[in-house]
Amino acid sequence: MTQPPILIAFPKGRLGDELVPRLAGTPLALDAAALKSRVLRIPTATPGVAALLLKGADLPRYVAAGVASLGIGGSDTLDEMDVDLLELADLGFGACRLSLCALAGVTLAALRAKPHLRLATKFPKATEAWLAREGLTAELVPLSSSAELAPLLGLADAIVDLVQTGGTLRAHGLVETAVLGRSSARLVAARGAYLSEPGRIRPLADLLLDALKAKA
Amino acid sequence: MPVRTPHFPDLLFGSAARLRRWEGALMALLAAHGYRELHPSLVLRGAVPEGGLRFFDGDDLVALRWDFTVALAGLLARGFPAPPDRVAYAGAVFRRPVQPWEAVERFEVGCERIQPEGEATNEADVELARLLMAIPGALGLKSAILHLGNAALVRRPLEAEGIFGELADAVVAALSRRAPHRVREALDGHPSAARLAAHAEALLSELDGPRTLDALASSPYAELLAGEREHMDRALQALLPILPPNLELRVDLADVAGLGFYTGPTLRLWAPGAQQELAAGGRYDRLFPDLGRPWQAAGFCVRLSRLLDLADTRPDLFEQPQ
Repeated sequence: MTQPPILIAFPKGRLGDELVPRLAGTPLALDAAALKSRVLRIPTATPGVAALLLKGADLPRYVAAGVASLGIGGSDTLDEMDVDLLELADLGFGACRLSLCALAGVTLAALRAKPHLRLATKFPKATEAWLAREGLTAELVPLSSSAELAPLLGLADAIVDLVQTGGTLRAHGLVETAVLGRSSARLVAARGAYLSEPGRIRPLADLLLDALKAKA
Repeated sequence: MPVRTPHFPDLLFGSAARLRRWEGALMALLAAHGYRELHPSLVLRGAVPEGGLRFFDGDDLVALRWDFTVALAGLLARGFPAPPDRVAYAGAVFRRPVQPWEAVERFEVGCERIQPEGEATNEADVELARLLMAIPGALGLKSAILHLGNAALVRRPLEAEGIFGELADAVVAALSRRAPHRVREALDGHPSAARLAAHAEALLSELDGPRTLDALASSPYAELLAGEREHMDRALQALLPILPPNLELRVDLADVAGLGFYTGPTLRLWAPGAQQELAAGGRYDRLFPDLGRPWQAAGFCVRLSRLLDLADTRPDLFEQPQ
C-alpha cells in the first residue's frame, strides 16, 4: 500500500499572511496558482507533502486528531484550547501581546474598582487565569471576532484581545491597560504521527524549521 | 464548549470475532508465562475519580470499573496477605474520555507482576518488556515500535530541586508537549531554571535506539540518574538480542505520560501510522504502599478498543488471519 501524503496545517489570517511569504522559494513553498483559488488543500514544492489552509481555532484539532501530521499555530490558541499535541519549536514570528484594552482614559484601577466588571474576549481561559491571579471576578462576554466594538457600544467595559502593532486599537480609541501574556507562532505535531513515524515526520519538521530560519 | 456525545460502541460480527480472538490469544500468552486471571467486579464501591461512570444503587453511590489496575489493587490489598506474583485480566472499563473520539466503554487485556518491597526489580521489568514484545505477533500486527522510558528521569530531578505542585505540573506538561521553550517559560526566575532547561534539552534531543541513552551524559543530573541509566542499559542489553524482526526498539527519555502514577521504567507500544499508543505500562511502586501493603508492582495494559479501530481504518497494518 502506498504511503498517504503528509498533510501540514497552515493558518489562514494574520499568521498565514506572515508565513506564506517566508515559505516562498523553499521546498515547502505553496503552489501559487492554488493559493489564488478557493482550494483549501494545496500542493507544496515537495512531492507527497500537501498543505491544509485552516482557521487558527480549527487548526489544533486537525493536528491533535492526526489528520495533519504537522501544523503552525499561535501559542494563544494552543493555550486556549489545551489539546493534546506536541509543540516542537517557538518559531518567533507572529509575536503579539494578549492585553486588557479599554477606552482611552479608563485605567486599570478604574476597571478594578467596578462592582460588576464585564470583559469581552475570544480568550476566556487566559482571561479567567489572569482574573484568578489578580483576585478579580468578572462577567465574561464570549466573542469570536471584532472584539474592539464591545467597549465602544457598551457590550463590555473592556476587552482581552491580541495586540500586535496597536493600530486597530488606536483606530477604535482603545488603549492597552495590562499585558496578560505573549504569543508567537509554534510548530506543532500530531503525537501519534511523531512518535509512531519519527523517521517520516521529524525530517519534515526539520525541513520546515530550516525553511523558516533561512527566511528569518 | 466542546460537545461530546458519549460513545458506547456496538461491535458487529467481524469486530466482535476479532475481539474474542485477540482476548483469547493474549490471555493464552499470559497464562503460558504464569499469569493467572483475576476478574474484579464490574461495579466498584468507594472513591470514584472524575471521569468514572457513577450511579446510585439504592442509597450507595457506586461506579462502573474505570481501571483494572486500581480495581485489582483494591481486591488484592483487601483479600491477600501475600500477593500472587503474576496476575492477568481481560474485560471492559468505562471512563469518560479525554479525547472526544474515544469510546466510553473500552476493552483491555493486561497483566501485573507483583513483588514484596525490597526485592530486585530488574528481571521483572525485563520480563514485562519481553511479554510486550510478543504482543504484536499475537495480534497479527505486521510491525510495531516499543518505546522504553523511565518516569524517574523527570521525577527525581524535580524532587531534588524541591519542585512540586503546580510548577512541577507545568514542567511535566511542557515535556509532554516536547517543548523545551515551554520548560524555560514555566521555570522563568526559578533558581533551578538553567539546570532543568538543560536537562529537558537532553531528554528531548533524541528519539532513537540504544545510543539515545548517551544524551543523558549531557544532563546536569547525569550523576543523580546514573542508576536509572544503568537499569535502562541493562534492559536494552537483555532485549536487543531477542528483538523480533518486525519490532523496533526506541528509547524515549522524555516519556512523561502518567508521571503521577509511574515511578520507574515505562513501556509503550505503537504501530507505524497509528495515532494512539496500542499498549502502555510501567512500574508503579507507590500503588500498594498507599493501600497499606508493602508490595511493589509493574504491569501493562493492551488497549484492544484502539486496536479494533486500527484494524478497521488501517487493515494494511495487520496480517490476514488464516
